[in-house]
Amino acid sequence: MTSELLFNILGITIVASPAALLAVFSLASLAGRPLGERSMARFTETAVVLGLLSSLVILGMMLVLDRRHVPIEIGNWVVIPDQHFHFHLKLVFDRLSVPFVVLTFILCGTVGAFTSRYLHREPGYGRFFVLYALFLLGMVISSLAGTIETLFLGWELVGLSSALLVAFFHERQNPVRNGQRVWSVYRIADAAFLIAALALHHLTGAGDFEGLMGTGPWPDGHATISQSHALFVGLLLLVAAAGKSALVPFSGWLPRAMEGPTPSSAVFYGALSVHLGAFLLLRVSPILEQSLTLRIAVITLGLVSAIFGTLTARVQTDIKSALAFASLTQVGIIVAEIGFGLRYIALIHIVGHACLRTLQLLRAPSLLHDYHTLENAIGSHLPQGTSTWDRLVPVRTRAWLYRFSMERGYLDVILDEYIVRPFVAVFRWSDSMERRWTAWLSGSDEKGSDEVPPNTSSVEDLV
Amino acid sequence: MQEPTSASTLIHQKPVTADLHGFDDLRHVIEHAAHFLPAQGPITVFVHHNTLHAFEHLPFDEGVKVGGKLFGCNAYLPEERYREKLERGRIRVEDLVAVLLHDLGEEANLEIGAFGTRFALRLAMLQFPLRTGSGTELRWMIAETDALRRFRDEVPVETRDKMVDRTRHWALQELQQGKAKNGTEKESGLFADILNSFESHTMESWSEQTWEAFVLNSLWQVCYDGVKSIKNSVVETPSTDVVMKRHRDLLLEVTQEDTDVLVHEILIRVCSSFLDQGFADWKVPNASGGLYGLFLNLYGKSFASPTRWLRQIHTEVQRLAESNIGPLESIEESLRLLGIKNSGREEFLTHSLLALRGWAGMVWQMETNAEWAPHPAPAGSLVEFLAVRLILDRLAIAHVSRESLEFTGSLDQIRDEASGRVHKEHSNGVEQRAFIVFQLAQVCGWNPQDLESLSHDEWATLSKEIATFSAMERRRIYHLAFERKYRNETLDGVILHSKRHQNSASTIRPEYQVVCCIDEREESFRRHLEECDPTSETFGFAGFYGVIMYYRGAADAHFTPLCPVNLTPKHYVVEEPLYSLAQAERRRAETRRRIGQATHQAHRGTRTFAGGLLAGLFGSFAAFPLVARILFPRTTAQIRRQFEGIVHTPGTELRLERTESEPGRGNGHIGYSVDEMAGIVEGSLRAMGLSKSESFSRLLVICGHGSSSLNNPHEAAHDCGACGGGRGGPNARAFAQMANDPRVRNILKDRDLIIPDATYIIGGYHNTCDDSMTWYDLDRIPVQHRELFETARANIDEARKRSSHERCRRFQSASLSQSTDEALRHVEGRAEDLSQTRPEYGHATNALCFVGRREWSRGLFLDRRAFLTSYNPTLDNENSSTLEGLLQAVIPVCAGINLEYYFSYVDPIGYGCGTKLPHNITSLLGVMDGAASDLRPGLPWQMVEIHEPVRLLFVIESTPEAMRRIIADNAAIAQLVNGDWVQLAVFDAQTSRVQRYVSGEFEEYDLSPGELPIRESSIDWYRSCRDHLGFASIASNSNELAGQA
Repeated sequence: MTSELLFNILGITIVASPAALLAVFSLASLAGRPLGERSMARFTETAVVLGLLSSLVILGMMLVLDRRHVPIEIGNWVVIPDQHFHFHLKLVFDRLSVPFVVLTFILCGTVGAFTSRYLHREPGYGRFFVLYALFLLGMVISSLAGTIETLFLGWELVGLSSALLVAFFHERQNPVRNGQRVWSVYRIADAAFLIAALALHHLTGAGDFEGLMGTGPWPDGHATISQSHALFVGLLLLVAAAGKSALVPFSGWLPRAMEGPTPSSAVFYGALSVHLGAFLLLRVSPILEQSLTLRIAVITLGLVSAIFGTLTARVQTDIKSALAFASLTQVGIIVAEIGFGLRYIALIHIVGHACLRTLQLLRAPSLLHDYHTLENAIGSHLPQGTSTWDRLVPVRTRAWLYRFSMERGYLDVILDEYIVRPFVAVFRWSDSMERRWTAWLSGSDEKGSDEVPPNTSSVEDLV
Repeated sequence: MQEPTSASTLIHQKPVTADLHGFDDLRHVIEHAAHFLPAQGPITVFVHHNTLHAFEHLPFDEGVKVGGKLFGCNAYLPEERYREKLERGRIRVEDLVAVLLHDLGEEANLEIGAFGTRFALRLAMLQFPLRTGSGTELRWMIAETDALRRFRDEVPVETRDKMVDRTRHWALQELQQGKAKNGTEKESGLFADILNSFESHTMESWSEQTWEAFVLNSLWQVCYDGVKSIKNSVVETPSTDVVMKRHRDLLLEVTQEDTDVLVHEILIRVCSSFLDQGFADWKVPNASGGLYGLFLNLYGKSFASPTRWLRQIHTEVQRLAESNIGPLESIEESLRLLGIKNSGREEFLTHSLLALRGWAGMVWQMETNAEWAPHPAPAGSLVEFLAVRLILDRLAIAHVSRESLEFTGSLDQIRDEASGRVHKEHSNGVEQRAFIVFQLAQVCGWNPQDLESLSHDEWATLSKEIATFSAMERRRIYHLAFERKYRNETLDGVILHSKRHQNSASTIRPEYQVVCCIDEREESFRRHLEECDPTSETFGFAGFYGVIMYYRGAADAHFTPLCPVNLTPKHYVVEEPLYSLAQAERRRAETRRRIGQATHQAHRGTRTFAGGLLAGLFGSFAAFPLVARILFPRTTAQIRRQFEGIVHTPGTELRLERTESEPGRGNGHIGYSVDEMAGIVEGSLRAMGLSKSESFSRLLVICGHGSSSLNNPHEAAHDCGACGGGRGGPNARAFAQMANDPRVRNILKDRDLIIPDATYIIGGYHNTCDDSMTWYDLDRIPVQHRELFETARANIDEARKRSSHERCRRFQSASLSQSTDEALRHVEGRAEDLSQTRPEYGHATNALCFVGRREWSRGLFLDRRAFLTSYNPTLDNENSSTLEGLLQAVIPVCAGINLEYYFSYVDPIGYGCGTKLPHNITSLLGVMDGAASDLRPGLPWQMVEIHEPVRLLFVIESTPEAMRRIIADNAAIAQLVNGDWVQLAVFDAQTSRVQRYVSGEFEEYDLSPGELPIRESSIDWYRSCRDHLGFASIASNSNELAGQA
């Protein structure tokens, strides 16, 4: 068997195993025969182990054969020659994607094992694993994407599953509200991404990263587009990354995403999802080199987010929000590192940070236990507050900073007041105009059916 | 709406000197309202309370109704859950009959028009599920389902055939006659319509189905017309006690905008910062100013209000700060601005507090009940909380009514304005009521033609009758029936078992004795021990063993109270390294401290900028513990323990005897005097019935208990309730050491309590989560006792193994076919597993409490559902003072546990804290759901899911006279017993006679017919069964005992 063929088989296996997992879970539910807990856990285990082994074998082969770049074509899925449009699926194994996909499998696998016990007897068990499979598939596709449209496909799957997992406990209001918020921010990021993808297609004739970066394998590629184009596309991608990685000004959604079950918060928002923006920037890092302005923008955004995160994390009184903002700090630093061109460091940082944060979030319910143990070891209540900080900063400023951090930099309220409100107002206005117009055309009053309140009375009280 | 600033001018005109008397009043009202708040303190010290403690002065049925209404929670299980139990046989029809007859008393035979007796009607309503729904839904059901074509499935075939036959007979006769006479009588008009829709000319050849449909159609039409003809006022109980709505409720109804979302977002942040016990890195600036001061300080900052809503708060806060308005004054002002009249004040304030009851309750607990915490809240914090809440409330109301209601009048008019705009769409409920009658008619076999001839009054009577037996009433009856079944089984079991074993009671002296906590989790442990070794004897005593102390372990930082919560210890006990090891221990302690500090630094460091960067770069190593701990929890824990062993204190002893006269925490003041020790030992031994020298065996094991698990914020809820949510090992150890002391024994000898010299007492600790056993002070066991101890230890090890096996049957993820060794490994894994949300089931399924000698319950399989308290009535004085002393603790503590489980089960969202999965520890005090929510007191669903909500049944070996005296003399017991918050029965072991306490009287209980199964061993009885199990005699031990005797 030639190594090419083996690469192809393994590469396809890596993507096919989560896809098959998703298919099995959702088809079983669709057919009205949902799987039991045990079989779902076993399927998940098989899929993850298969994917992980395949990616490790690929890694080994690449090392042995000294290949730094292994593309695997899956072909054009949609071709519209007249419009010069094609949807080109392609996987790439290189120094960026292999560590990332291995990380994905290890973290998802561990969390899968964790969840199969954590969600035991929970009514949403099946739903969780369907979303889990969707997420895994999305992450694998994003990691291995060789064209921008492939990346977009994975990106969308991750976004969809993330938002639905935030709203996992949909019988309560807050998770749904926060899930919707995450979803809205993701849509903004998606829109920016999509425009960037179109622009790339327009500029280079294809969405292939290879074409874009020249021939060098990651991270040595050099972008082939001009500086101004790079700035335009790069800024759009930066917006996309900022939305996905909760950088300023979108940071508000990250702590709000902690509504789902603990393991989903851990792996999705603490570890993988939140790094996807940084991953995107890493993937297109050659573009960054083209434009100094763009690099400055990336560095600034990264540092601002990191500082914002570290300030805000300090006033959080609950463990999950504290960890969310701590994650944000590191993601900000990672983005800044990418801006500085430290690509390997950024990659190592992502991997390390993801593992560490997952462990911390999974252990979050142990907080009281851990604190108790620490207090016993130290022999007193745990020391709190940094004295240097108290000495250096005057009280008034401290109080102001405290308020600023407590309100999470006002980011959410500012977005709501100055972006969402006018936006909604415009659409409400258009809606009312349309109603008037149709009413006038039909010569009748507005339809009353919109006004019917939902029936909320409980059946218990009716008798 | 005028800007808040203009409101401020209005206030300035008011004299600033506050009306002090009015404030006293207000404070009183707030304190009264505070009683309704959840009574759970910081989650690290979990004490089980009756969730509805505030309503305990009412009878149970009244209390759950009133409380449920105030909190918006279920009083009983939802009706369909009881129906499931009826189907599965957990409730039998005979229980329903008995309970209903008792409940109705003389009214049972009351005839309701032509519909039979009230009893029969109600029984029919209970026996058959009456479906209902909204008017729209019912209309759909009538039109689209076969509700009018087929009888309901539950209707017996005979009833159906009879109805169809009669109607056919009547229809053929009457209607055809009517047709012949060409008459248009009124009563046939209705049927004529229906007939027309069926092809009436072919009536003779109608099929069975057509007739069935005809009957049902006529029946529905008759019911509908009949019900429609009566006025609503007849059936609707006039609801005079309209719940006063908060402005928020009205606005929500009208605008769909929830002002509480705005208010709570801020309030939760402020409260959690204010109450934080040391989690956040930054302390709140000016925390000493109290909650109100903190709020004014934070929200009065300039340049900190980028939105309109925040600017309004800013303006208002500045006004309050400038005009020096205090919290009480501010509440007065808010009430006035909101237009709350004096009469509605208390109700309004109560509802305002309850809107964020978790946090409000925690503020109140930290203010009144947490002086031991690192940062307790200052007095008056709840008032300040309420002041802040009302300020935010009125601002939010103004904000929302301006934005969404376009209302700009003054605040006190908003309620009228909003109520005016509420959609008044009250359905008259005719469909619902008609549908109920329609269904009842089917199951009771009422013919349409008979119903048709009913008078107006008769319809009214029927409707009223149905309306009075409301869903709440039905659930009450179901609940009573549910309790009755289990109660009867229990009492039957006790009677039969005690009769069976009356003659075989052994008189031989046991080899060794084990005293456990009364906790129902120890029931299986004791039973298995008695099975393993019939020569052993077990006792149950509240797990603090009379040792009321503040305790600090060798590796602990602080003193913890180890005694029931209603007691405050005066004595301090510390655990110290053995004197010879003190030097080495100092080094170890230093190492521990260094490691601890480094861990803490690392822990916090990963959340900072630079530390996080460093940690992130090397974070890949975290993958190893991550994967290992999740995939191999038990092995990882063993390895970790190896490492911890290096800094672990190897040998310790208790400092138990003080040298100074006064107890305290200073040097020399720690511990007890010999006299005090003698008092403790005497009290406990006498209470558990060990006061004669011949009843002591050579070895007495005192066994405390607790539980440890990972990733479980509710860990403390599994600990020993009698130790105030602490771990009772040190109490057992201290007790053993005291009772072994020759000086103590000498004192006791003088008091006629002789502990034989040959008796040695040893302390142990049972971990109910991983079923491990820790022994204390083994080195001190005298040589001649060691062999006996080895035997005892071997049997105890076997017993805990078997007990863990029995526990495992309730865990769905544990195989039913595993061996006892595997079961022990399984529970050990559970305790160490980060992903395990059910490390143990705790007190779930608790239902019984036996107080009396073990003889009559020994060998009775109780399924880990019974608290077992040892008490020997033959050793008690004629006043039963020993029993009184026991019950003073046992009844409130066990009732508290039982009722907390009851409420957390019947309403897991409202009374309990929902599912554990999204829980988020905040301020080191409690858990929230997800990112930010109210604090969630109560028990999580994972802890209670296998519970059966029944009130605790006490079976006490005593006489009615003694119990009556105790009830009369103890208000706390009387309140629980007379209010039916617990069930009570007395038992006479000689005659196996049971008398139940029913509405203040003792009633003879009659044995129901039936047999009590006999099994060789417990495992024979519970094998391959996951569900609740009934009673059985476990025969092995008695036979063997008898054989040996």
